Amino acid sequence: MSTDAPTPRTRVRRLPELGVYEREAVHAILDEAIYCHLAWVGADGDPRLIPTIHARIDDTLYVHGSAASSTLRQVKLGVPIAIAVTLVDGIRFARSMFEHSMNYRTVIVYGRGVEVTDRHELERVFDAITDHVAPGRSSDARSPSDAELRQTTFVKVALDECSAKISEGFPEEPDEDLALDVWAGVLPLRTVTGEPIADPLLRPSIETPSYVTDYRRPPGS
Amino acid sequence: MHRHPERADYDRATIDEVLDEALLCTVSWVDEQGRVRSLPTIQARIGDTLYLHGSRGARAWKSVAGGAEVCVVATIVDEIVLARTSPAHSMNYRSAVVFGRGREVTDHDELLAAAKAITRHVLPGREDDAAEPDDDDWRQTLILAMPIDEASAKVRTGPPKDDVHDLELDVWAGTLPLRLVTGAPTPAPDLRSGIPMPDYLPECGEELPRL
Repeated sequence: MSTDAPTPRTRVRRLPELGVYEREAVHAILDEAIYCHLAWVGADGDPRLIPTIHARIDDTLYVHGSAASSTLRQVKLGVPIAIAVTLVDGIRFARSMFEHSMNYRTVIVYGRGVEVTDRHELERVFDAITDHVAPGRSSDARSPSDAELRQTTFVKVALDECSAKISEGFPEEPDEDLALDVWAGVLPLRTVTGEPIADPLLRPSIETPSYVTDYRRPPGS
Repeated sequence: MHRHPERADYDRATIDEVLDEALLCTVSWVDEQGRVRSLPTIQARIGDTLYLHGSRGARAWKSVAGGAEVCVVATIVDEIVLARTSPAHSMNYRSAVVFGRGREVTDHDELLAAAKAITRHVLPGREDDAAEPDDDDWRQTLILAMPIDEASAKVRTGPPKDDVHDLELDVWAGTLPLRLVTGAPTPAPDLRSGIPMPDYLPECGEELPRL
């Protein structure tokens, strides 16, 4: 695979230094990705990594965890974390094996997590996470009770430092490879939804809402 | 995993399935400053070994190649789980995590096998078509090998799990499947004429073929 395979620019940049266009691109990637990979430094100094769900409100990124679980215990202490999201847009087929690459968009946010404790903020984050998963859903689903708020942990990190990369286009190969008798091009990839599957316990006469039947990610795409 | 024992699955077959099916993974390690770093990359599995592809030019990969403790996770989201209450929302997903230290592959035969496996991982069939790496390619590319011996998987399947007293709510509940599908293959602008579209490329709208 190519040296340009999904290995984002490793330079970490401060978000406030980015132009409006770049900030909007970072926001759009974080919003479109349905899940993230949350990494942190474990108590033993070794890396830990889990998939989880995130949501962005302005320039703050929130990640979700269970209060009873040990996974976020260390994250809540404020150890360094990295939140990575990657969207795959296509496969770039080059003639030469190592020039193969992906068209992708990735953002990695670096920082230290802070536990959300303010009740109003918790409620806002619950709505944001629910709407991140399915836009419009928070106005339908029942809001969390006090007990449920206690059972969930949200950790937030300011969008201050990140590395981002958008890789698009066709394979770029040295001239001598262009003569090879091998097909080259791009195979686009996208995530689509299938038919909704109703909960077997769903009460009769409840219709599937349009935000489920017309689900698009990102909305309007 | 302590909280959701039903989601823990140490079955090696599940770990292999996730590593093989997920197109990409994220690799994380702790750098010299004690910060955790992450990068997305492409993986491929041959038996009990996970191969990761990196760029030799990327400074970040040097710690990983130097034998730092790394953590690799691959995730496939199968369905969005829409419950009647916002806290019960979830995902049906499969994820595998592998812990260990990377070994830089230097043996030529192993390098070639790994390069072919990574190409096959992206699209089966392509590995027999694409031109094999030359010396220049090898100089620019780093392939790491990790044993798959400290690994686990998590799987969630099935409908939402609302509390009994929430089942009366007037809210739709269920799951929404997600699939990664292909669009129409687009030939490179500089493709020589007379080279047909290969058979192993899927039709537009098909799921991406996996191993």
